[in-house]
Amino acid sequence: MSDTITRVKKVTADLLKINLEQIDDNARFVEDLGAESIQSIELVAAFEEEFDIEMDEDAALAVRNINDAVTFIDKVIARG
Amino acid sequence: MREEFRLLTRDEIDQLISQGCRSTNWNEVWVAHDFDPQTIVAASFEGEVYIGSLSSAEGEGKKPAISHATIVNTQIGPDCQIRNVHGRIENIALGQGVRIENIGSLICSGRTSFGNGVKVAVINEGGGRELPITTGTTSQLAYLFTLYRHRPLLIKQLSRIFDEQVDDLAADRGSIGDSTTILNCPWLENISTGNNVEISGADRLVNGTIEAHSHIGDGVIANDFIVLAGAELDSGAIIEKSLVGEGCRIGKQFSAENSTFFANCEGFHSEACSVFAGPYTVTHHRSTLLIAGLFSFFNAGSATNQSNHMYKLGPVHQGILERGCKTGSGSYLLWPARAGAFSAIRGKHYSNFDTSDFPFSYIDIDKGKSTLIPGMNFLTVGILRDSQKWHKRDRRLEGHKQDLINFEVLSPYTAQKMLRGQQIMTELYDSSPKTQESIIYQGIHIRRLLLKTCRRYYQMALDIYWGEILLRRLERWNQNENPSEIFLEPEPQGEAGTGEWVDIAGMLVRQSRLERLIKAIEAQELDYIFAVNHGLLQCYNAYSIDEWNWFLATQEELTGNQLTLENVLMMLGKWKTASKKYYNLVRNDARKEFEGPVRTGFGIDGNSDKDFAAVRGDFEHNDFVQWVTRQADLLDERCQKAINQLQIG
Repeated sequence: MSDTITRVKKVTADLLKINLEQIDDNARFVEDLGAESIQSIELVAAFEEEFDIEMDEDAALAVRNINDAVTFIDKVIARG
Repeated sequence: MREEFRLLTRDEIDQLISQGCRSTNWNEVWVAHDFDPQTIVAASFEGEVYIGSLSSAEGEGKKPAISHATIVNTQIGPDCQIRNVHGRIENIALGQGVRIENIGSLICSGRTSFGNGVKVAVINEGGGRELPITTGTTSQLAYLFTLYRHRPLLIKQLSRIFDEQVDDLAADRGSIGDSTTILNCPWLENISTGNNVEISGADRLVNGTIEAHSHIGDGVIANDFIVLAGAELDSGAIIEKSLVGEGCRIGKQFSAENSTFFANCEGFHSEACSVFAGPYTVTHHRSTLLIAGLFSFFNAGSATNQSNHMYKLGPVHQGILERGCKTGSGSYLLWPARAGAFSAIRGKHYSNFDTSDFPFSYIDIDKGKSTLIPGMNFLTVGILRDSQKWHKRDRRLEGHKQDLINFEVLSPYTAQKMLRGQQIMTELYDSSPKTQESIIYQGIHIRRLLLKTCRRYYQMALDIYWGEILLRRLERWNQNENPSEIFLEPEPQGEAGTGEWVDIAGMLVRQSRLERLIKAIEAQELDYIFAVNHGLLQCYNAYSIDEWNWFLATQEELTGNQLTLENVLMMLGKWKTASKKYYNLVRNDARKEFEGPVRTGFGIDGNSDKDFAAVRGDFEHNDFVQWVTRQADLLDERCQKAINQLQIG
């Protein structure tokens, strides 16, 4: 498992107050993990803080699951 | 006046008597020179009565103009019709073409000012801000009088100005304006109306003025009141010690006391007590109480409620919801509290917060605590739709727009707050450990993680606003003018610097300009009500030039340098980027109305998608979504056109 996905899951588990084991790679933030709309925004902010990056709001909020988040974050990191 | 009239002849008196008329003294009944005694049947005259030129109503049976009425010390204008007055009409001047039918009494019981000068305990139910209501009380004047109590000289001068207006309006006789209709009303006492007023079915109207083109309908009870031009008071409304402003609609059993409703307010079903309702305050739902607060451009959700006391020294607390706020169904606010402009408030709040530096926010409840999400409301469908509808819903009549209203959502007023909000969020973020979940600021929780994100929301709004200012400037630019002068120079008549802006009940104004006006009032340079309102109008008219100067000074403060044409081009680029992002986020917000849980309940026995599509349509074909999409599509073109114009210039 990549470092990014581990950290994405950890941040998600901490913020949504759920067990890390409950989160699989394709888990959807809203439907499967119960993120409310404000928590979605907080997740974006938490990823930004964790990875020290800045994410475009409308693109980031279009990300629906763990795997997509990992891909998105890796791209942002790669762009520098 | 008597030269327009003559006394009755003996034959005319005899004919009137034969038609069931009587008088305590026929020598006090004066009639128009062309008087026709056939026009009056079964009428009784007491005291001095003047009767203008009358004609019987056309149609079957040719009804007499006056029948079954007791008229006391009254002047009846030409072409009036008065029928079935069960009590009397006393001490009234009726204008031309007034129609009165099936009423109890319409009387003036002595010298009165017809509701002018009634003191209304707005905002603080316990008193201390009593506002004398008059027909000249604009929302701006009311704002200064109620909220500038720290300026005793201003209050003293305004009190004198109000008193003088009240004296001017006082009379021993009520007046009913031309072409006014009064039907089916049991009791009207000390009432004055303008022209073309319609009063029909009102239960009881006492001590009030009803300005032109207003409508007072079924079951209305009003005491000590002013109704300004073009307003409607209908269907069982109960109004006491209140002002109903131009274009307002009040009805459906709404009750109000000690309240003012300025332009285009709407109050149905619910209750208002000690409310200063600035322009476009709207409450439509039962179980909604607005109390002891200052509102404007406000929309109250059903069962919205506030408390203005905590069982200590009485109802002394006050609340402020700055312009553009909304409360969700069942929301509750414990006064004192103050919410920043254009905020959406949901849930029950028991903390006394002040979020005035955080416009466009969500104020929500999280685990029982009041929580602020700054800037989030800017990105919603609601604000954009509201900003489009206010202009369209201005029901005021031409020539009757005395409240001064700036409709702008993005303005120096909201921009200065966003700039302050950004600074506060930066300081809070930098000073909070990462382990801290939330921070309490002025009585409300803010999630630490959101501080950076919300700061960006404000930047997006500011980038859009700066660009819009420049584009507006471009529209008025004659290309023969030097672009440096137009885009980089302040307006000579405008206020200088980055000073504060205030929202005085619907009007946005530089505080320094308002301060000069206040000083002029204090110095008695403006010493009557129309002069003060004219001074306010001049402040209102200076909005654009003051906005421009504030923008230039703010840019200089933000960047440390004077604006250059290169900066202007750069800002237009940022405007385009931010606007694109904004429209995308609004579209995404609108999309929520078509996805997931909103489909719950559709297709009661199956076919839920088809049922939803039939009732709600689909996202891409929604009118609002299409409009937003068009705006987004136009951004490149608008930006490029502006850049080309500037580069050519």
